[in-house]
Amino acid sequence: MAKYIGKRLLRSLLTLLIIITIVFSLLRLMPIEGYFQNYEKMTTTQIQVGLQQLGLKDPLPVQMLHFWQGVARGNWGESHKYRVGVDVMTIIAGKMPLSLALGMAALGIALLLGLPLGILMARSASSKWKILDRFGTVFVVIIQAIPSAIYHLLIQFYGSQLPGFEMFFSAGKPITWLLPIFSLSLGNIAYYAMWLRRYMVDESNKDYVKLARAKGVPSAQISRRHVFRNAFVPLAQFIPTSVILTLMGSLYVESLYSIPGMGGLLVQAIQLQDNTLVQALVLIYAAISILGLLVGDILMALLDPRITLGKKEGGR
Amino acid sequence: MPHENDIILSFQDLDIRFTLRGQVLKAIRGVSLDVYRGESLAIVGESGSGKSVFTKSAMGLLDANGTIAGGHIWYEGKDLAAFTTEKEWLTIRGKEIAMVMQDPMTSLNPLKTVGDQIEEAVVLHQGLRGEAAKQAALEALAAVGIDDVERRYKQYPHEFSGGMRQRVVIAIAVACRPKVLICDEPTTALDVTIQAQILDLIKQLQRKLELTTIYITHDLGVVANVADRIAVMYAGDIIEVGKCEEVFYDPKHPYTWALLSSLPQLGVKGQELYSIKGTPPNLFYEVHGDAFAPRNPQALNIDFVERPPFFDVSPTHKARTWLLDPRAPKVEPPEHIRHLREQGGKSYA
Repeated sequence: MAKYIGKRLLRSLLTLLIIITIVFSLLRLMPIEGYFQNYEKMTTTQIQVGLQQLGLKDPLPVQMLHFWQGVARGNWGESHKYRVGVDVMTIIAGKMPLSLALGMAALGIALLLGLPLGILMARSASSKWKILDRFGTVFVVIIQAIPSAIYHLLIQFYGSQLPGFEMFFSAGKPITWLLPIFSLSLGNIAYYAMWLRRYMVDESNKDYVKLARAKGVPSAQISRRHVFRNAFVPLAQFIPTSVILTLMGSLYVESLYSIPGMGGLLVQAIQLQDNTLVQALVLIYAAISILGLLVGDILMALLDPRITLGKKEGGR
Repeated sequence: MPHENDIILSFQDLDIRFTLRGQVLKAIRGVSLDVYRGESLAIVGESGSGKSVFTKSAMGLLDANGTIAGGHIWYEGKDLAAFTTEKEWLTIRGKEIAMVMQDPMTSLNPLKTVGDQIEEAVVLHQGLRGEAAKQAALEALAAVGIDDVERRYKQYPHEFSGGMRQRVVIAIAVACRPKVLICDEPTTALDVTIQAQILDLIKQLQRKLELTTIYITHDLGVVANVADRIAVMYAGDIIEVGKCEEVFYDPKHPYTWALLSSLPQLGVKGQELYSIKGTPPNLFYEVHGDAFAPRNPQALNIDFVERPPFFDVSPTHKARTWLLDPRAPKVEPPEHIRHLREQGGKSYA
């Protein structure tokens, strides 16, 4: 197990290296305007001197090396456009906790509501009372089919008319957290309910469930101990990714409620051609995505004894 | 001849229906059958003849769209056919009637240890907890011929071979301490070399635990090996029932003749193997007369009109065919069937 994790970590690191190399190289193709505050007013010599100072006149491999050295030392560079002269890590550190808090709350609610909904739907699908499954399916289909922008807007519009609720977010007022969290969780509620229902229906048609019935296990116990447990395994793989992705924030919901979170930061940085900020964000996003997948795989292996990590015959 | 009191399970005029897309399928059409305490009964028939559905009804394990539309299933003075709630069925399932299923590769939960799955039955039916339950599970494993039980107890199903898994499934069934054991094609999914071992194991457990066993199979080789009595099923009806020798050596129903003729052992080298022409009737429609008549080249006119009653051949042997009516013309079974007796069943040994 430890050997497998070590191997996977090394491979993840390599992937990260490749991603950042590509992004780094692509960013060198960007117009150099991105490095200066008032490019239009600068003379050619000023620009050349400026580039020299930033180390952008060096050959590419040397620049690359400097970049990696900086990353290793915790010096990720300064923003040139977004907030001039501010360390990019300071910018990110100011925004990430907020997105994380909102995202985790939304994910928690999604699991708390989505999983029971999935269980109820699955149990209803295999009983005579299919009405609950039908309603659940309608909910899932609506949430999945309608562009989320529409229900986000509706929730903000009608939700903020309720007594006490407000249109915009302010970190100090707990009640203003509710609407964005609810908006963020809806998609995940539908997602977890849909997949859990599907996997549970699959599992409950399997022979081992029939054997469990034949040996006299009550159906509630079968549902809990056998069906849910087994159906949850393929879902568990996605949970670490979901958790980690909350760090990225939601572009739409955060702009709707004026939440100063991570959502949209990357888009803004690209629009402003703030190259250092783009670099740092891409590196962080790539790293957390890879980490999410890795943790998901390990979780799977812990839950399913048939998956033996690190062995040749494992088929990996 | 077993005494009346020795009937442990009695099916009477059982009707089972399935509703599929608004249509009604009559899977079991008025079947009566007595199962005697301590005997080993084999129900044979081709796929779709209803043998599985028939036995599952005694455990309340019909699919959600299946219902017992009529008749009774008597067990220890209770009519199982009248059961409606899960609570009632839980007094029967496992505790009184247990089941060994066809495919050991899929009938164990892949994510739970073998020990866990046996213990689940022990906890439910022997009322043991903790260490005592574990000991009982270990004993059950040992009883089905698994070595090194302490290690095996902690292993997962994928660490067992097919034959070993079937032993585990049997251990689970036996750990329930049932009186009746239904073996639904217990060897179909297994290697030929393992089949005999599993059958021997079931036979041995039957003797030791005084079980009544019901085998469901389409393998006549299995039947000859294990059964005291045979019930032949066709199109949702039992058409002949008798002691093993009676059905093998003196079959009366044309379908039984055809079934026995299909034994590869009876084929002549160089000739094509016998197969029954036609297909079984569609049970979505009403079956008139003898269900086998359309496939029977020697069918009588009355076979198409009226369903034959059971005629007694001997006190233990009866068949549902008009050929046994005193007024019927004499129709001889095919020659190779008559010779079965002379061969003394060597073909099955």
